Formats: sequence, structure tokens, C-alpha cells
Amino acid sequence: MINRRGALALLLLLPITACGGAQPEAQAGPVKITVWTWKPASAGLAAVARDFEKANPSIKVDVQAVGNPAIWEKITIGMAAGGKGLGDVLHIGVDYLPGYTEKFPGGLADLREFGADKHKDAFAKGLWPTVLGKDGGVYALPWEVNPAGVFYRQDLFEKAGVDPATVTTWDEAIEAGKKIKEATGAYLVGVNKPAAGGADMDFYQMLLQQQGAFYFNQQGEVTLGGDAAVRAMTLLKRMNDAGILADISGEGTFKQLVSNGKLAVLPWPAWAVSYIPEMRPEQKGLWRSMQPPAISSGGKRAAIVNSTYLSVSGNSPHRKEAYAFVEYALTRPEVINKIFKEGGVFPALSAAYTDPIFDRPDDYYGGQPALKTFTDSLAEGADATYYSSDYARALKIASDAQTQVLTKGADPAAALTQAAELLAQQTNRKLASG
Amino acid sequence: MITRRNVPYVLILPALAGFLVFKAYPILAAAYISLTTGAGAARSFVGLDNYVRLVNDPLFWTSLWNTGLILVVQVPIMLLLALVLALGLNSPFVRLRATWRLGVFMPSLTGLVAYGVMFSVILSKESGLLNWMLGFLGVDPIDWLGSPFWARIAIVIALTWHYTGYNAVIYLAGLQSIPKELYEASMVDGAGSIRRFWSITVPQLRPILLLTIVLSTIGTLQLFDEPFVLTGGGPDNTTLTISLYLYQNGFRYFDFGYAAAIAYALTLIVAGFGLLQIKLTGGRK
Repeated sequence: MINRRGALALLLLLPITACGGAQPEAQAGPVKITVWTWKPASAGLAAVARDFEKANPSIKVDVQAVGNPAIWEKITIGMAAGGKGLGDVLHIGVDYLPGYTEKFPGGLADLREFGADKHKDAFAKGLWPTVLGKDGGVYALPWEVNPAGVFYRQDLFEKAGVDPATVTTWDEAIEAGKKIKEATGAYLVGVNKPAAGGADMDFYQMLLQQQGAFYFNQQGEVTLGGDAAVRAMTLLKRMNDAGILADISGEGTFKQLVSNGKLAVLPWPAWAVSYIPEMRPEQKGLWRSMQPPAISSGGKRAAIVNSTYLSVSGNSPHRKEAYAFVEYALTRPEVINKIFKEGGVFPALSAAYTDPIFDRPDDYYGGQPALKTFTDSLAEGADATYYSSDYARALKIASDAQTQVLTKGADPAAALTQAAELLAQQTNRKLASG
Repeated sequence: MITRRNVPYVLILPALAGFLVFKAYPILAAAYISLTTGAGAARSFVGLDNYVRLVNDPLFWTSLWNTGLILVVQVPIMLLLALVLALGLNSPFVRLRATWRLGVFMPSLTGLVAYGVMFSVILSKESGLLNWMLGFLGVDPIDWLGSPFWARIAIVIALTWHYTGYNAVIYLAGLQSIPKELYEASMVDGAGSIRRFWSITVPQLRPILLLTIVLSTIGTLQLFDEPFVLTGGGPDNTTLTISLYLYQNGFRYFDFGYAAAIAYALTLIVAGFGLLQIKLTGGRK
């Protein structure tokens, strides 16, 4: 059995292994900067790195696919070692960024030093607040954004006599779900109800984000017990009680449901536009994309599910050159779209969306321009989500509350109030009022 | 200069050095870490805060309760089963003895990953072996890993499968060390097989029984592998054990100070249980 001694031995080894990193090289010759990212995004970045080197012969860029999730631990270790062995440019997700800036002050460079704030309005709305530290510093530039969406089976909707255009709120979606279940036997949405093998909170989080809410507010107070959180959980409970929420726990359950046409909706963000055709090539022509229904009539249908960034290590001797590359890669429409085409990373830069690929009809989606759903969504404007440095803990506690509601019939308000108190106790944060 | 007087110290030096580096240092470092919060440069001393937080943490009590429940249910079942197996293996009528013994001991040699994959296949709700077999008896499919009650049972089954053979082998060694003369003498006195079991086998095995009870209790208190590979502590924390909670805090939430405090709490509990058992059973041999 792995016991505490094994765990501690590991812990004590961490700083030792972190010392064997890159040494700053001699001043002569071109400056070399290292970029840490993961596949497949690395392919896109590597492609534009060559263009950058041609335009800037004094800088060499080495793009390394460190891998996700390995990169998070490597960055943590590097920061704990005071920046030794870290890459100069780091690809960081929205769920980790606040942890790094809050736990390791100075670990990431404040990019205001290089004039990064002039790009403040260049990115999709809702992203800029997420790059700011508590001190107002700019610690990253947005690279990727994943606007929320839903993918639905056109054939199942048709069979049930439901026009997707009339489904504008989740209330209407629940009524449609009942009809679809009756006519075709298909569930509306699937969730891993007991969270077997890990939390499955993407759907719930999307329902929160559509209301501009999350587990924490922008001040870092706990909002897991708030009105928005209860409203979203109540929607899940109603779907569950209506028998239209499938349980996708267990080996292969999800795959079977999708293959057999037993799931009418996949509430997935922009990355799925290219993923669904890979996953189910034989279902070509059956799927369509649309914006998620609103929580209440006339409410917001847009949400940003997650986003990723490029940051510069605060201890890098080549911060200036590193930032020059970040700015080159992320703030020019033609460059970011080249990355999108090569590496499949949906760009955060608003000016990129005028490119014709975002309006191009897609055969897999029956000729629908599937990407347009998502650029439209971003144009509507989503709210910023503050993940905080305690996201991992919040995710687990919220997931437990969801399991209580979906498998034990717990009352959403009661379960979430308890969860919020637990989260506040464990993270030493305040409960948001109201 | 090696002399006659210092040679014993020279001989134990490698072991001592290993102990200091790999045991004493981590144990002391953990004690210090449990009094701090944060990581790396941001580590700060907080005194007993982590321990106060522990006492007020409902999840810690949940993990303690779960571990206790599994301990109380699983250890007696497993040890009884192991004893029965050992008696069978020790019987003079058994053929292919080596094969049987190997079979009984094999599960304790199985690696964590292989074992996890195997049990997920056996316990799968839709296509699992166990539900398929229960289907013949007319039993509806059981959600082994998704239902709070059955997930605990699944952990008990997996644990029992893993460690029964190990204990059976210890009992077997104990059985074989009981002098044959005792049985022969009692048979001359007219004792039946049941009487021989209670009056000779059990008292003679007493130190061995105590050993396995203490070892199994300590092992179960540190239970980690089974919930980690099978349930991840779920659903809704019903299979969250102390060690798993420690791991989550350390390596998922990077809250090393709190994880170290949990480790020290667990050490106290284990030490307390060990002492209590030795006192209660009065074993000194």
C-alpha cells in the first residue's frame, strides 16, 4: 500500500529533480527561447515559430510538447524551485493560472512591462479579466477560447417533431427532451451521475457560466451556495426526475449511448466541432450545432467554458524576446488562424473570426457552418470566470453535491448550501453574501 | 581504524544511514510541514492551524468513519476465511498441494494496475462478469461502483480477494508448527475433531492470530489502493479512506501542510489501535 512515507518521499524528491533544468546560455549568437505546450496545439505553434524566426533572426524558438496534464506538475515544480528549469514561455489553462499567480508571486512575468495592456480589447469579451492578477498585473495573453455550445441529433429532433429553433430556454429543452424520449427512446443529455472515475461537471459549469456565475466570484468568495448555483442544479434535477438525463458512468456506457442514437444532445464547446467527426465518422450528416438554450427567457445563451493562455516565466533571462514571440503568435489574425488550422486551437483573438473558415459550410454537419455558432456566441459576449487557486477542491465538493442530488434525490439548495460551507471551511474563504 | 570494539557499529552503519535518510528525515520533515501552509517560497509557519482545521473538517471524519466501517466488516471475514483455507491446505487428504497453495497466494502478488483493471471488468454494471453470473440466479444488475452501499461492498470484496491468501499462508505456517504429539495424545484421550480444533489448534495459533489481526488492522487503516483504482473515493465520498484523503490533499490540491497533518493523525490512530489490541489480547509471545 502507498502510505504516508511513500508520499513524503516523493514530496521531498521534488525540489531535487527540479534543479537539473536548462542553464542560461552565453550571450553570443541568437537568443534561444523555450516554449512549453502540449499536443496538438504544439504543432500549430511550431509552424508559426519558423515564420517568427525568419522575421527575427536574432531569436530561436524551441516549441516543446511537454504534455497535458504533465505540464501542470512540471510548472509547479519549476516555480517552487524559483523558476529554475522552466520554459521561457508557458502554455497555461484558465483553471491553473490563478493558482500560479497567487501561490508563486513573481513566478510569471507582469507583461505590462512590455505594453501588453494595449491588447486589452483585442480578445473575446470575458477573457481579459482572467489574465489579471490581484495586483492588476497582466500575467498572460489569451490564446484559445472554448465558447459553450450544444450539438444535437437533427434526425432525433425531427422524429419527435421538435423544431430546434423553438428551443431557446432550458425549460423548453426539458419539454423537448420528454417528447424525444417518448418518440425515440433517446435521452436528452448524459452525465456521470455517481462521478465514478472522476468528476463530470462540465454541463453544470456551463449552466453556471451562462448566468455569469461560478463556484467563486471575482473577489474569490464562495458562491457555490448562491441563487445561480441552485438554479442550475435544479435544472439538472428536473431533467433527472423527468427521466431524460442518462447516467454515463461505467466502461463504454457513453460510447454505446452515442453509437446507438440514445443521446440527443452533447453540451460540448467549440473543440468538439472537429472532435465529433473524428469520434463518429459514420454519423455524418446527423449532427448540428447551436448555442445553448438560455437559463431564463431572453437570458444569455453565451458562455466561455474554458480558455488557455501563453505566459512568460518571471525568472526567464529572455523575458523580452519571449514576450515578442507571444505577441507575434497571439495578436495577429493571420498568424493565430494558421495555428488554428495546424493545431486545432480555437483562437481567442476577435479579429481572427473574419476569416472565411469560420463561415464555411461543413459537410459533416449537413452543410451547416458549425463554427459560426461559436463565433456568434462570442459576439454576444460571455462573462469572465474566476477559477481561483482552489479550483480542484471546489470541483470535487461541487461534484459530490451533484452526485447527492442526482443519485440520492437530495434537495439542490440544501446540498449546495452544505457544499458551500465545506468549501469555505477548507479553503479559508468567505461565503459570498446573498 | 576498525577495532574489535567498534566493528558492530561499522556493520550497522549502512542500515543506520539508510534509516536516517529515508525514514527519520522524512518523518521529521513531515512534522515540520504539518505546521506550515503553502508551498515553495510561499511556505509559512501556521502553528497548529492544520490540526484545528482537521478536527473541524467533516470530510476527515467521513474518511475516518468509512475506514472504520471497512475495518470492522472486512478484517473478521477475511481472517476467518483465511483460517478455513489454511485448514484445508493443511489437510493430509489434499492432492496437488503446491498448486492449491500457489493459487491461494497468487492474488497478493498481483500488481495494483492489473488488479484495478481486472476488477473494473468484473464489477462493471453493464457488461461485468459478476452481474452476468448473478443474472443466472435472477438477480438484477447491481451498480457495484456507482451505488454508495455496493461500492463499499465492492471494496470489501476486492480487499478480501487481495489479502486472504497472504493471511492463509501465515496461518498455514502456524498450523505446521503445532506439534503432532498434541493431536495424537488428545485422540488417545478420545477428543473429536471439533474438540481438537478449539482446544489445541486455536490456543496454539494464538500468537499468530494476534499477529494477523494487528497487521490487517494497520493495513486497513492505511487503505489506499482499492478505493484509488476502483472508486476514486466515490460515490459521494462513501469509499473515501484516510490515506486517499491524504493523497487528494497533497497531490491534487497541493495542500502539503494539511496532508502532513492528516498523516500524523493517521499515525496516532494506528499506534493507538496497535497498543489497544496487544493489551486486549494480552499477547506477549
